[in-house]
Amino acid sequence: MSRKNRTKFSIIRGAAALGIGLLVAFLLIFFGSEGSTVGEKFSSALDALREMLISPLFRKDGSFSLKNLSDVLAGMIPILFTGLATCIMFAANQFNLGAEGGIMLGAFVTSLVAIYVPVPGPLLIIVAVLAGAIASAAVMLIPAVLKAKLGVSEMVNSLMLNYVIMYFLNYLMKSFLADTSKGITQTFPFQDNALIPQMINNGSRLSWGFVAGLIMVVLSWFFMYRTKWGYGIRMTGINQPFVMYSGMNVAMIIILCQVLGGLLAGMGGGIEVLGRYNVYNWSALPGYGWTGITVAILAGNNPLYVPLAAFFMSYLTKGCTLMSTNTDVPAQLISIIQAVIFIFFAAQQFLSGYRQKLVVQSAKEEMAENNAGKEALR
Amino acid sequence: MRILTTDFFFSIFRIATPILLATLAAVIGEKGGISNIGLEGIMMMSALFGSLSAFWSKSWVIGLLAAMAVGLGEALLMGVFAFKLKTDIILVGTAVNMIGSGGTIFLVKTITNVTMGSALTSTTSLITKELQIPSIHIPLIQDIPVLGKIISGHSLLTYLAFLLVWLTIVLLYKTPLGMNIRSVGENPNAASSVGVSVSKIRFITIGIGGILAGMGGAYMSMYYAMGWSLDMVAGRGFIALAAQSMGGGEPVGSMLAALVFGFAQALGIKVSATGVDSNLVAPIPYIVTILSLVVFALNQRRKERKRYRGAA
Repeated sequence: MSRKNRTKFSIIRGAAALGIGLLVAFLLIFFGSEGSTVGEKFSSALDALREMLISPLFRKDGSFSLKNLSDVLAGMIPILFTGLATCIMFAANQFNLGAEGGIMLGAFVTSLVAIYVPVPGPLLIIVAVLAGAIASAAVMLIPAVLKAKLGVSEMVNSLMLNYVIMYFLNYLMKSFLADTSKGITQTFPFQDNALIPQMINNGSRLSWGFVAGLIMVVLSWFFMYRTKWGYGIRMTGINQPFVMYSGMNVAMIIILCQVLGGLLAGMGGGIEVLGRYNVYNWSALPGYGWTGITVAILAGNNPLYVPLAAFFMSYLTKGCTLMSTNTDVPAQLISIIQAVIFIFFAAQQFLSGYRQKLVVQSAKEEMAENNAGKEALR
Repeated sequence: MRILTTDFFFSIFRIATPILLATLAAVIGEKGGISNIGLEGIMMMSALFGSLSAFWSKSWVIGLLAAMAVGLGEALLMGVFAFKLKTDIILVGTAVNMIGSGGTIFLVKTITNVTMGSALTSTTSLITKELQIPSIHIPLIQDIPVLGKIISGHSLLTYLAFLLVWLTIVLLYKTPLGMNIRSVGENPNAASSVGVSVSKIRFITIGIGGILAGMGGAYMSMYYAMGWSLDMVAGRGFIALAAQSMGGGEPVGSMLAALVFGFAQALGIKVSATGVDSNLVAPIPYIVTILSLVVFALNQRRKERKRYRGAA
């Protein structure tokens, strides 16, 4: 298939997946919406859908809302990191689902450093975030080494670790670290120099962590597509025996990609807490890890497309939140839309009939060109 | 404090039942070459619809059947994506789990809003004692001292689950269908070459798993807890996968593994009754899962080494 046709196909395929996701959303809203007649239900469902798709950028009167846009961008920060983490792990066919626990642990450890460790100036931010990233990477060693050395499923282990991390952190919070003068379980406030400055001061909490996320996107891309280890990771995903027989250390690659995944997820957690809050108060897994998996699948495991996919997910999430405040459709609709789009993106044979047609078409064109060339030679 | 009371042993079976049902789903699935990580999401969804159907129909039987039907339907849908549209089964399972977590809360709010006029976030108020899956007191056995108190008085589904272990063995090893499931799991091309419809067998395999997970979901919302609440399955679908691999993929071994998890959790509940922070107790089953997978893998490795040495 020609390059042009391939791009055309992936755009159409993506659009079709989005379309199906939105159609399912519409049907669900329609089913649950108020109104006695079908017509009334239809129009109120349409209103809700419009709310979801347009309100993240525009106000009721049609004017552009910078505040909402910056909300969307701020919402991208954690899922940029979990998305990148998942990209790197999934690229090697390591179905490690631990970004969820990883981001929580990173947020927690970063918070501890930000509260208790005396480091001067903005250096504290770097030290704290690195501490969170390293803690999370260290925990990822567990599923990684067990997979590489013993062949134990990294998927089950990483899922179990998510729960272990959550309960253990909650235990530490409740028993030792909570500021008991407050009604809810939260830590003491961070030191002032630990807070990541904001890019826009409008309450969106769009911190400079966003830029850090974009830098990590570029670095991850460079690592994956321009270094030996990145090549090894991608090849392991495509053809593991080939990597083994060509003499690369497969066990090392399996460990490396998961540790890097943990590192990125932990970094994301640290940047998220220092950019958004001034205390740590997470009491449950935040869900960013799962969104990160969707982001990675939408991006086709290529770090360069992660910002686009993260923007899309953040936009939809914001849209669903606004929709649920302005209509009576619950915001959790996002999980269903997310799952539907996700699965159609992941389905290799989705629209395969159409792809076949494009392949045949470009083959015919090629043949026609060849024949024309031969004619001319005669 | 005495831990090893009859109550304690009773609770092991009570806790292990949903894990056992999901474990059997995982066993049959893996025999057919399907790693179904969506069991968690299927249990969540069927738990919700089981409790809702029981409430609407005023009958636990309908609730249970609805839960099984939802499990079957969801599993077959997974099959369409995995086998027809060639989606990685792990990603299909992930999508099912996404819907099982956030999607169920959307559905329960929307459905109760439409049918009852108020959006509920759980169905705990809907399941009454009459709608609970009944417990069975076995005559004679219940009069045996100690043992009677442990074995008798469980839910119908608990007995069914242990019966299903036996049925699973029969299915897998004594029927043509079981033979086909195993052959498709071991070598789909070989199975196909002798005229087995691989696709059909795969759909049957994942479908049976869906029904079993549906029963597990019904047990969660209609017996273990009264009514559905968010994330109530709490990783039992994943633990089932661990039990499957710990049990070497065989029904009896996996059943024992499921009982080990039941034991770990029952112990945790006992310990937390003494005033230990529940956050320290709650992760015990998950830690046991990781440790047991490691022990199993080490064991497996030692066996292989022995075999090589024996051959040499």
